[in-house]
Amino acid sequence: MMNTATQTPSAAQRFKALCARFPFLPALIILMLLFALNGFFNANTISARGITGLFSTYLALMFLAVGQSFVVFAGDIDLSAGNILSLVNVFIITMMNASAGDGATTLGIMALGVLVGAGCGLFNGLLIAALRLQPIVATFATSIFFTGIALYVLPVAGMPAPMIYWQTYFASFFGLPFVIYVVALLLVLIFLFSRSKVVLQLLAIGDDKQAAFQSGLPVTATRIKGYVLCGVFASFAAFCLTGDTASGDPLVGSAMTLSSVAAVVLGGSMLSGGFGTQLGSLFGALTIGLIGSLVYFVGTPASWQNFVQGLAILIALMVGILISRRS
Amino acid sequence: MSKLILTNVSKSYGPTRAFKNGDFALEAGEVHALMGTNGSGKSTLCKIIAGSVKPDTGTVTLDGKQVNINSPQDARALGIGIFYQELSLATNRSIAENILISQVPLQFGLFVNRAALRKRADQYIDLVRDVAGEGFHADAVVANLRSDQRQLVEILKALATEAGILIFDEPTSALDRVQVKRFFEILEKLKGEGRAMIMISHRMDEIFEISDRLTVICDGAIVATRKREETSPKDIVELMVGGRSTLADDDGPQLRTSSIKEDKPLLSVKGMRGAGFQNISFTLKGGEILGLGGLHGQGQSAVLRALFGAAPIHSGELYLKEEIYRAGHQRRAIRKGLAYVSGDRVRDGVIHGRPIQENTVPIHAFRQYLFLTSFGDLSPKLEGALAKLSTKFEALTSSIDSLSGGNQQKVVIARWLIDKPEVLFLDDPTKGIDLAAKADLFALIRELAEEGLGIILYSSEDAELLNNSDRILVFNGGSITRELAGDERTRFNLYDAAYEVAS
Repeated sequence: MMNTATQTPSAAQRFKALCARFPFLPALIILMLLFALNGFFNANTISARGITGLFSTYLALMFLAVGQSFVVFAGDIDLSAGNILSLVNVFIITMMNASAGDGATTLGIMALGVLVGAGCGLFNGLLIAALRLQPIVATFATSIFFTGIALYVLPVAGMPAPMIYWQTYFASFFGLPFVIYVVALLLVLIFLFSRSKVVLQLLAIGDDKQAAFQSGLPVTATRIKGYVLCGVFASFAAFCLTGDTASGDPLVGSAMTLSSVAAVVLGGSMLSGGFGTQLGSLFGALTIGLIGSLVYFVGTPASWQNFVQGLAILIALMVGILISRRS
Repeated sequence: MSKLILTNVSKSYGPTRAFKNGDFALEAGEVHALMGTNGSGKSTLCKIIAGSVKPDTGTVTLDGKQVNINSPQDARALGIGIFYQELSLATNRSIAENILISQVPLQFGLFVNRAALRKRADQYIDLVRDVAGEGFHADAVVANLRSDQRQLVEILKALATEAGILIFDEPTSALDRVQVKRFFEILEKLKGEGRAMIMISHRMDEIFEISDRLTVICDGAIVATRKREETSPKDIVELMVGGRSTLADDDGPQLRTSSIKEDKPLLSVKGMRGAGFQNISFTLKGGEILGLGGLHGQGQSAVLRALFGAAPIHSGELYLKEEIYRAGHQRRAIRKGLAYVSGDRVRDGVIHGRPIQENTVPIHAFRQYLFLTSFGDLSPKLEGALAKLSTKFEALTSSIDSLSGGNQQKVVIARWLIDKPEVLFLDDPTKGIDLAAKADLFALIRELAEEGLGIILYSSEDAELLNNSDRILVFNGGSITRELAGDERTRFNLYDAAYEVAS
């Protein structure tokens, strides 16, 4: 119809096409920018050692954000994700301390930890998709509930993780740190899920629940699956956190819940559902991590760090919107 | 032998009986049209068959066996596919994903097989590719499509179910004539394969073109089923509206006699250009109804939206009552006495989930700078405006969503009538509303013109344009290609001008 199609695409148009194909592009640009800034203020941060440190600290948030994406895709939210993480953390710590502590038992306990995460997710999913409770309030309630269980399992923070566990986390294999393999595994999972039926269905449901139902999609079952996957990823996050902190803490995850939601949004996903990528969420999680370290390296006085960090996240969010608007 | 038989089916929503004692039979290899005013129960009947509404009583028999359809998934398993009037597309997904959303080809049962998805989607897309216009390919995101293209996706999605029974609820409302023609060719082919189709449309000419049998529903009850050869549009309309005064039918358009009183132009446009239109010049006089005609999406809506300030104007001069008028802000347009009613009620008109009262008052509140007011003061004004269109509603406090599409549109129009505007832009105002509401609407439009309003009417139904406008500007490719006035206002001339370049 219009004559625009006959013109050769301008740079802006090409960028737009690129953004449409890779919706996480703005998040990646912000991440690169932050990375460069970090390197500018402290050259150590862009060394292999610095990157490994960044990964080992923020791997838990990366997993949690990728897990949160499943429910956000469907237009839901999970405010208990961080509390599931805490519960799994104290669960595996107490189990490990009660057992022999060899490799096989540890793996067995981790498998049980995944079941705990999946069970929490299933509980959330049943409340929300089957009983039709509002996601925000329902998961707010279950977050308190899960914290209650975590406090019963381990009333005070501080029980140490077995040596074999955290030594593995900080070990190197074939010249590469263990966390790099975990990041690679996460990337593979993200790639596989990006092509999975369940993510496509979650996105379609997030777009318009009624339309998806009328199209014959199993809406309730799929939303429950989303919560279960979120719970499973929260347990993966718990494994990483346990490796990083090497101890059990029943309250460690609650502060991470909203960070995971923020990471999903910074990654370009819509909180109303229907649009987003998990790779973007991963970038979002790293963005939050890098903002934290940047604020520190710039030399912000301790009393102002929260203020500056909050401001920086707002700016990152705005830059992301500007980039995608421009396109 | 009948493929699908409904016996004594009924459905109530609370005290409202949406459908009662329905006996309906659908045969293999036929297109069966359902006719009825909006809110008569056509959509309810379709939804019962498609499984998204559960009937309270009655039985459904498919190929001689009694079946229970409890969900859309059940319906799909039984071979029933449906095209929904309120589109069921996921706007952020691609065309291919939407077409095959409920039957995505998989690898290892877990992963989407992209290549197969594309290939299968392309088979369906090929059916309409040459009439769909630019940007219609497997990977295109639905959000970027025009409304006619979205409707095509929805049609393809219904076809992709490969179901033996297909239900089409208003499948052609956004399509242009070439696209409709292609759609009908597809239906003819499916008929040949022995598939059965139910079709709902408010376009009488299309119904008579494609259907084999017609069933008329009135107030939730099936009134009659007729073979096409044995009936006429007039018959059907009479059955549908149950004796109410009808629209002038296609056989002999009752041309409007002009009510233009003064010669001074109310609104004049010179060389206006913007996104989707160029070189637009015309004048509108008080008391005149100016029609915009042509194929769908040739710039008619874009011009109206631009004049109202909802879309930018790149160049050109506008005069309102011989004074320079700068468009570009809806608020200024409203203050100056311009009014705009869109056919897309859902997007541009109705405030969902709010009472009728709140849906009627906003323009009045804005123009009168209302700050604090009382329900008691407002009610008579609102009721007066609503009564002009004989809007049917329970109470001003009931939710707008409790009304049928036609009545919702009446509420949207009524909000402009409390303080009389100078110029009224009607952007396909009758889209998807029933015949009775249309008749009320056009009676009002004529009355407003008598009172001296200038009215610009864009309608995708030619009969409405021919019957109601003093002059018709025919659009093609974003420009006005012909002006039809007086005796030139004939169906032939309108088609001729519309197809001049497009075909």
